[in-house]
Amino acid sequence: MRGFIEFVVRFKNFITLITLVVMSLSLMSIGNLSKLGGFRAVIVGSIGWIQSVFAWIPNPVALKAENTALRELNLQLAVEAARSRQAMLENSTLRSMLRLPSLTEHRLIAADVIGKTTTQQRNYATINKGLSDGIGEGMSVISDAGLVGIVIGASEHYSILQLLINRDTRVSAKVLRTRVDGIIQWEGENTLVLKNVPRTLDVQEGDRILTSNYSPRYPANIVIGTVRQSTDEPNTLFRRIVVEPAVNFSTLEQVFVVDAKAIQERSVLERAVDERLLNRTAP
Amino acid sequence: MAMNFDLRSSEYVTNPVIRYIGYGVIAMILSVIHVVFLRFLEVSSVTPDLLLIFTVWIALVEGQFTGIIAGFLCGLLFDVVSTDVIGTNALAKTMAGFIAGYFHRPGFSKETIGSARFLMIVTVAGFVHNLIYNFFFLRPMQVSFLMFFVQYGVASTLYSTVAAIFPMLYVARKKE
Repeated sequence: MRGFIEFVVRFKNFITLITLVVMSLSLMSIGNLSKLGGFRAVIVGSIGWIQSVFAWIPNPVALKAENTALRELNLQLAVEAARSRQAMLENSTLRSMLRLPSLTEHRLIAADVIGKTTTQQRNYATINKGLSDGIGEGMSVISDAGLVGIVIGASEHYSILQLLINRDTRVSAKVLRTRVDGIIQWEGENTLVLKNVPRTLDVQEGDRILTSNYSPRYPANIVIGTVRQSTDEPNTLFRRIVVEPAVNFSTLEQVFVVDAKAIQERSVLERAVDERLLNRTAP
Repeated sequence: MAMNFDLRSSEYVTNPVIRYIGYGVIAMILSVIHVVFLRFLEVSSVTPDLLLIFTVWIALVEGQFTGIIAGFLCGLLFDVVSTDVIGTNALAKTMAGFIAGYFHRPGFSKETIGSARFLMIVTVAGFVHNLIYNFFFLRPMQVSFLMFFVQYGVASTLYSTVAAIFPMLYVARKKE
């Protein structure tokens, strides 16, 4: 017995170490919250309470990391919001464009605007449809908002449009409310004017302007714009009528080319009659 | 032998019971500080181990036997206070106390703690402590032990060593 006690005293450090290591390993094998009962839950709860009491103290390192993470998240959300807005706008445009074919008797060829050019106050746009899609020179182009312009050149897969806001534009138009006729011309920037309307005729601000039945190039009753200003031109017998185009040309993305065979047939007939009359009158 | 004095009798309470109660209170305060406030000193998820430093301190002042028990109790306390698996820190700190106890020189504890030797002991004990702790910590995880130990174990050891500079300087100043 004495020898055992001497052995224990001599190797007490190792015996203690082994005992505590065994105890630690035993605790590790049972060391989860449920097996230890509510004691640890109380301790952890108390620590949690102390942590919450001191939670107001800012931690610069953690704040910086959080700030960086929030900035990245913000950037991602901003990109997603922009995409979402873009999709909503596109959806809205496409929905209104889907309704358009049912409102017209002509065949419509849908196309995307893939480029815009401005040369000496002549605004043009390029679309991704051409001769192979049935598009030909002289066809008028519309969007869900109204008249866009006319096709002035076409290749196999692309076409060039002369936009309404072009120095060479002349469109026979009428006022929807009073059926007054005139000629639409571009007056720079985003402004059109309705010419050849006498002072005596009734045209007011807010009146809608449509393409006229007299036009040999454009289908009738297509919206051109709204009267923004109607005043008497000084020293003339005419009114000065400023029209705001219905189409927003800066955001133009999708258009329809109007395949109006009747208009083309009419143009051919009118041209033929003109030539015949000219030949008759020629000496 | 002006330098040859014992921290147990000169600096601390001579009654061992009161002294050990004092150790217990300090251990509790340190564990709470560790859990609640050490997040302010966190660098890449690594914090200094205050209870490890305290275990080394006790082992150097009281000897290996007390150091082993102190390590076990400090580790157990930390396991309870933190949400760690009960026994993990107890085992690691028991080993740390055992190793630190080898450097115990009766009557010269102040010289040991108040010099760079203390930092070296903390580094060695911390290295073993983190080796054991990470071994059991990573056992259920599909993570490379070596990678994790180099990244966190060694970093934690070094951070603890840096933190040990403060008690070292404190004792060194008292010593002068």
